[in-house]
Amino acid sequence: MKNKFNFLLLDFAISSIFRRGSKNIFIFFVFTLLIFLLSSVLFISNSIKSELDTTLNALPDITVQRLQAGRAINIPTSRINKLLAIDGVKAVIPRVWGYYYFANAGVNFSVVGIDKFDDQYKDLYAKLCDKFDFDKLQDKKSMIVGKGVQKILKSNFYNGYFNFIKPDGSLEKLTIAGVFSDDTKLESNDVILLPMEKARDIFGMSKNEAVDFVIKVPNPVEIPNIAKKIRLLYPDCRVITKEDLSISYQNIFDYKSGLFLALFIISAFTFFMIIYDKASGISSDEKKEIGILKAVGWTIDDVLKEKFYEAFVISFISFITALSLAIFYVYFLNAPLLKNIFIGYSSLKPEFDLPFAFDFQTFAIIFFLTVPIYIAATIIPSWKTASLNADEVMR
Amino acid sequence: MLLTPEIITILTLDFIFAFFGLIAFIISINIVRKWNLNSTTPTQYKLEKQSFLVATIIKYIFIIKLPLFLFFIFTADKLSDIITGAMCAAGVVSSVSFGTSMFVYKILNLYLFGFWLVLNHYDLKKENQPYTRYKFMLYVLGFFLLSIEIYYDISFFTSLDVSKLVSCCGTIFSAASSSSISFIFSINKIYFVYLFYISFTFVLLSYLFKNSIAIFVSNFIYIFIAIISLIMFFGTYIYQLPTHHCPFCLLQKNYYYIGYILYVALYAGTFYGISGAIMSKLEHKPQKFYYNISIIFDIIYALIVSAYPIVYFLRNGVWL
Repeated sequence: MKNKFNFLLLDFAISSIFRRGSKNIFIFFVFTLLIFLLSSVLFISNSIKSELDTTLNALPDITVQRLQAGRAINIPTSRINKLLAIDGVKAVIPRVWGYYYFANAGVNFSVVGIDKFDDQYKDLYAKLCDKFDFDKLQDKKSMIVGKGVQKILKSNFYNGYFNFIKPDGSLEKLTIAGVFSDDTKLESNDVILLPMEKARDIFGMSKNEAVDFVIKVPNPVEIPNIAKKIRLLYPDCRVITKEDLSISYQNIFDYKSGLFLALFIISAFTFFMIIYDKASGISSDEKKEIGILKAVGWTIDDVLKEKFYEAFVISFISFITALSLAIFYVYFLNAPLLKNIFIGYSSLKPEFDLPFAFDFQTFAIIFFLTVPIYIAATIIPSWKTASLNADEVMR
Repeated sequence: MLLTPEIITILTLDFIFAFFGLIAFIISINIVRKWNLNSTTPTQYKLEKQSFLVATIIKYIFIIKLPLFLFFIFTADKLSDIITGAMCAAGVVSSVSFGTSMFVYKILNLYLFGFWLVLNHYDLKKENQPYTRYKFMLYVLGFFLLSIEIYYDISFFTSLDVSKLVSCCGTIFSAASSSSISFIFSINKIYFVYLFYISFTFVLLSYLFKNSIAIFVSNFIYIFIAIISLIMFFGTYIYQLPTHHCPFCLLQKNYYYIGYILYVALYAGTFYGISGAIMSKLEHKPQKFYYNISIIFDIIYALIVSAYPIVYFLRNGVWL
């Protein structure tokens, strides 16, 4: 297989592409657009996944929820001591958090209660605890909000404060003591941090209740075992480990990009047909050219090789162009429009920059799904062209 | 069934392979039945043209298949994150009963399609095209193997189950397992080292004497001995862990993807050796170009695997 790369043939192929410029520009344009769409979606999915992976480390080792009739309900704090007695458990932190629907803007805020004497389950909150004195917040009736929340409140003329409506209908006015913006905007954009007691007030919860427990386990190997023990101890509880969460993250993102890909395959095959058609319809000029080439001694193999070079040059240039466009679109323009497929629209729409995450695997997927399909579409038409009889076409 | 981008990619390409493979298969059968270079009938003329189509299709399939195989392993590795119990591709592959045979077919096809291209190259060089019939017979066989492989691919990806518990490579590659290779774990490791270097010497000697049969046999044996000794001895030095015998984990990032280099070198070395030997026999003269490439890659493989234990010994002063 001493298949030496023939640069003269490549030169011929490139000039042949330019000779039939209009036809090839159309193909180039459509193909680039297709690859661009595909790679943009994969890039977005990748970079959101990598953003979530970084927050994954900050996630609790074990989360315990109490279920009744299949729905999560509040869990009594009296259970904490029994959970602490399990070997290997370092801390059990009751959490008070929930969603507060702000009807004027049609958004949900994530309200999180903080008790400064508890261990904090997120580094982000621990940092804030050092920065702000939550006892003082309690006295002053104030809160800390995310950037997105602040923006929404401002646009609804709440300058520096907000009136929560409690379950009994009375108002609770809290002032904004601080705003946090973090590298991980995805998790902090719609968050309102309150002192624990205030959060309970707003949700109408009693003092010895929490929404769920977060359990810290220093040794990761023990997590599955401890989770099993908790399930036996409190059969009405749902126990979620960090690993469960990370698997479901990956599944969700694989599913979303997989769904898009399934749609993409359909358009790719439509494109396949177009290429097939375009490549089959050769003009009389082209036929003549093949005839002359064969008359001067080219074999079928040589013509096929030349056609293959043409296909490869077009598809590869499209590939590179589309890839650079997609990188620009996703990482510099922050992927307007397409980003929404992945973020969803349920809560306060977080605005954030997509972190740069490009791995070899994505590159390979994009390559395998585009260039081979294009070349496959040209195999039979090029063979038909190449096997034309010299004497017939030159007549 | 999992719907990850990687799986969709592999299945799409499998579909294309099946489609073009079928076209080539039908033409091949015609050629095998009716080929007669001395006849001047329109049928023969048509067949000669069609033989180029088959050659192009096979070239296409092989060129895509080679990187796709690496991508397949890479995908299996990635899936191990979401499949319970699996820690590398070994667990994922063993989650289905036909996992091992799927791998064997994939590798066999790579050798077969590669050899087809070599045969084709020699065939087209000569005016009387002496190998045309043989190469199309070979492809008829190759198409069956390809179909089996594609069937395995599809059933593999459709039967993957996230909630099913599979074995980790630590249990598959150990004496305690019930798998077919478990008995070799009871043999002393040092024999495999001897075996490997004997086999490697055999490869070197056969290269020096340029004997085609010896080169064929030595390279053929070298594939198996190299893999078994990698599992039994050299792998443990790559992992620096005497109990870790997995041939898949070394494809992971923790070991700097060294596995890809090792397996590519092993494949290239033995492939050029075996196909060069067969061609020498057919052409009645040694194919030095093939032998040279073969010996270079065989030596690269041997050097890399030997370097691990030596470096380990130099650093720690003891053997594992």
